[in-house]
Amino acid sequence: MSTGQSLSRKLALVLLLWVCAFTLPWTIQASLCVVLIIARYAVLPLRPITPRSAKAFSRFILYSIAVATFIILLNGLLIKEGAVAAKVFGIPLHKEGLLFGARTASRLLLLSFSILLFFVSTSLPDLIEHLQTKGLPPYLALVLLLTLHFLDQLPARIHQIFLAQQARGAPVDSGLLSRTKALFSILSPLVLSSIVESIERGTALELRGFLQRPQVARVIKRSESETDWLTISLILLALAVLIYRIVQWLIA
Amino acid sequence: MSFSIRQRITDEMSGAALPFVAFCIALNLTAGQITAALKIPLYLDSIGTILVAVLVGPWSAVICGSAANLLAAALGNPSMIFFIPVVVVIGAFTGFLARRGWFRKWYLVAIGGVLQGILAAIASAPISAYLFSGVMMAGTDFLVLYFRSVGNTILNSVLYQGLTSDPADKLVSYFIVFFLVKNLPQRLISRLRGASNLRAPDSTT
Repeated sequence: MSTGQSLSRKLALVLLLWVCAFTLPWTIQASLCVVLIIARYAVLPLRPITPRSAKAFSRFILYSIAVATFIILLNGLLIKEGAVAAKVFGIPLHKEGLLFGARTASRLLLLSFSILLFFVSTSLPDLIEHLQTKGLPPYLALVLLLTLHFLDQLPARIHQIFLAQQARGAPVDSGLLSRTKALFSILSPLVLSSIVESIERGTALELRGFLQRPQVARVIKRSESETDWLTISLILLALAVLIYRIVQWLIA
Repeated sequence: MSFSIRQRITDEMSGAALPFVAFCIALNLTAGQITAALKIPLYLDSIGTILVAVLVGPWSAVICGSAANLLAAALGNPSMIFFIPVVVVIGAFTGFLARRGWFRKWYLVAIGGVLQGILAAIASAPISAYLFSGVMMAGTDFLVLYFRSVGNTILNSVLYQGLTSDPADKLVSYFIVFFLVKNLPQRLISRLRGASNLRAPDSTT
């Protein structure tokens, strides 16, 4: 299976899950969330590509459980409709509120899990290359690739400037106003150095004729249309779920 | 002359603008690191978008904000993807103000920042209310909780919370960008397309 095919399938899966998140009952959505967590371990193309991605996904699962619990309890507390379903420390939680919270939390988790699973299992440079084959302008692909480069460099650069300003006596630990002033002493050299670097890189790009002849820069050929039945099936399934929901809504 | 969106984006994204937009996307994603290190209670997650809107143009700012949210989703915060419409509003509105010279005078920057905050609150309220029930796991959730406890709907509570906190955050972000670009050498700014946004109309340099 090619990288492009794998990406198309994953994008179609995300589309299907998004449709499910807005159309199906919350119990099915919650079940799909569990299926996605299992799929992260069981389905090879959905496995995280780096240990960092795996850690991010695990951390997000814990975070999302906290958010979901908070959403359900908060709605149970604030929507005072229906019978009292439970009491937590003597505070009554109402049934309608808890159900509304469960609906919101399951939708949110399904949307979030689908996006995160796609990104943790996809290399960003591969995704950018794939998007370029689908018609993403070369300059946008370049911006995204440069961003990844800056994202690698920027934390170290910020830390370096922060330490330098601290050594010069910038008030990084004083009152709020002094710390806000210190913010400028960090941001100014950062932005200044970035503009200088941008001009240098921009000049290099212009000298190489990147902007005048973008078609030459488009070294990645557009993919020839190839039929991938799994991608088509996932898209058709998403459409079927959507149509079913619309029909059900019209009948109701 | 073509007036298509693609043509306008291509016009803005020339020379030094390409790497600068990339830097600002990364700045949006890492600005939180600076505020956390300095223990300042601000997000500053749209400071890069505002910088691009002023120094490059509105279309590039929209791309900068959208790409930053997409990458934030890719880096472990998937909920950011749903707030792309908000950053589109921030980029387009700031670019619109900058083109009309609002970043030349401090009082216009102040008014612009507050207006931007109100717009951002209006744009984010339905997303936050309907997708997240107003819970964003941030300090501002207590404001939502307060507004709901006094009998407001979720949408109204989230909107009131946004109107309470967003104008302040955007006002500070606008002022930071204003002072940053004011202190940058003209020689450097002139290499970016938005340099004319900062010059007085009668200025020829």
